[in-house]
Amino acid sequence: MFKGISTRLIQHLLAQNSWANALLQPYAGKSVQFNIPPVRSTLVILENGNLAIAGETNVPDARITIPPSLLLRLIAKDETAKLQIKVDGDTALATALAKVLSHMRWDYESDLSKLIGDVPAYKISEFGRNAGASIKETGENIANMLSEYWQEEKPTLTKKRHIEQFNTDVDTLRADVERFEKRLKKLTDSMSYVPDSNKPETDSVQ
Amino acid sequence: MTTEHNTHFGFKTVAEEEKAKKVAEVFHSVANKYDLMNDVMSAGLHRGWKRFAVSVSGVGTGDKVLDIAGGSGDLSKLFAQKVGTEGQVILTDINASMLGVGRDRMLDAGLNVPALQCDAEKLPFPDQYFDCVIVAFGLRNMTHKDRALAEMQRVLKVGGRLLVLEFSKVWQPLSKVYDAYSFKLLPLMGKLLAKDAESYQYLAESIRMHPDQETLKQMMTDAGLSKVDYYNLAAGVVALHKGYKT
Repeated sequence: MFKGISTRLIQHLLAQNSWANALLQPYAGKSVQFNIPPVRSTLVILENGNLAIAGETNVPDARITIPPSLLLRLIAKDETAKLQIKVDGDTALATALAKVLSHMRWDYESDLSKLIGDVPAYKISEFGRNAGASIKETGENIANMLSEYWQEEKPTLTKKRHIEQFNTDVDTLRADVERFEKRLKKLTDSMSYVPDSNKPETDSVQ
Repeated sequence: MTTEHNTHFGFKTVAEEEKAKKVAEVFHSVANKYDLMNDVMSAGLHRGWKRFAVSVSGVGTGDKVLDIAGGSGDLSKLFAQKVGTEGQVILTDINASMLGVGRDRMLDAGLNVPALQCDAEKLPFPDQYFDCVIVAFGLRNMTHKDRALAEMQRVLKVGGRLLVLEFSKVWQPLSKVYDAYSFKLLPLMGKLLAKDAESYQYLAESIRMHPDQETLKQMMTDAGLSKVDYYNLAAGVVALHKGYKT
C-alpha cells in the first residue's frame, strides 16, 4: 500500500516537472538508495524517465547518506551542507537524481484547481503564499529581535565581529607562544651547551 | 507428487493435457462475473494492484505492450491510455469466454486494442517485438510455467520488461487468517455471488500451489531475464515481479 501511494505521489510530482524525465532517462533501470536515519528508501528510475519505489530485493547502484542534522541545514538551504552529503557507488547517477529531487516543485495550485476550480484555487494559493511570506517575515523579525536583545541588552550571544576579533587574538597569541617557546628552547640549549675544552675533568673512580 | 506427464490442478494431480481443459472450464464458468468476484474477494484492491503494475512498468508513449491472460481487459485499458495512439497494446487470453468479455469492454471504451486468443506457451509473435509483456493473475493457471516465461522473454525487445502480477506467499503471521478466508469464505462467496463454489475452490487451491516470491524470481532468472526484483503487495498476498531482457 505504502509503495503504491509513494510511487503515485512521486510520479505525480514528476508529471508536473516534465523537464526531469530527460535527465533521468539515460539512467533507466538503475536505482539509488536514500539513507536518512532511521528512514531508508530506494528509488528506481523507469524506462520512461519516471521514478518508482524499488522492490524488496533491489540492489542499489548508488547510495546517498544524509545525517538528520545535515537534513535540517539542507532544508534551510545551507549551500555548504551539500558538500557533506555522502555518496557511494555511481556518483553521476546519484548526482543526477539528487539534482532532480532538489529542483522539483509541487504545483499545488494546479492540483487544487482540479478539485475546486481555477479562481478559488488561485485565491487560496495566493492567500497561502502571502501567509507563508508573512510567517517567514515575522519569524525573521522575531529572530533578529531576540538576537539583538541577547547581544546588546543581555549579552548571551556574541556578535560576529567579536568572535572574529577573538579568533584573531587567539591566532596572535598562538604565534607569540610558539615564538616564545622557540626562543626559550634556543636559550636553554645555549645554557646547557659546554665546549669540550671547558669540560671539567671528572674524577676517576677506582 | 507430479510426474513428467502430470501436473497440479489446484490440490489435485491431473494429466498435463487435462489441465488446460479444466482451467478453461473454470474460466468459462466465471467469465461474466469475474470482475465482480475479484472486487468482492479483494475488496477492490485488485484494481490498485493493477494500477501499481502499470506505474512501475515504465511504459510510455509509443511503446508496444502484450497483455497475456488479460481476460476482462482492465490492464489493457490502462496500458492503452499510456501508450497513446502511436503505441500498441495487444490483449490475449487462452480462454475465448474471458477474451470475449475483454474485447467487448475495449470496444465499448472506444479503444483500438486487438484481442487475440492464444496459448502463452506458444506466442504467435516475432522475437524482440514488445517493450513490455505483462501477465496478471494468469501464470498460475499455465501448465508449463517455464515454457511460458521463456516465450515471454523471447518476444521482448532488449531492454524490455516482463511483469508478473500473481498471488504469492502471504506474510507468515497472517497465514492462518488468510487460509480461513481462502478455503471457507471464498468458496461461499463464489456460491452466493457466482453460483459456482467449485471454481472458486480451485482459485484458492491454485494460489497455494503457485511458487512463492523467491521461487518465481529464480524461474524468471532461469528464463533469461535479468535484474529480477519483486514487490510484496498486501503483505505478500500478491507479488509483482519485474525482470529485464538484456
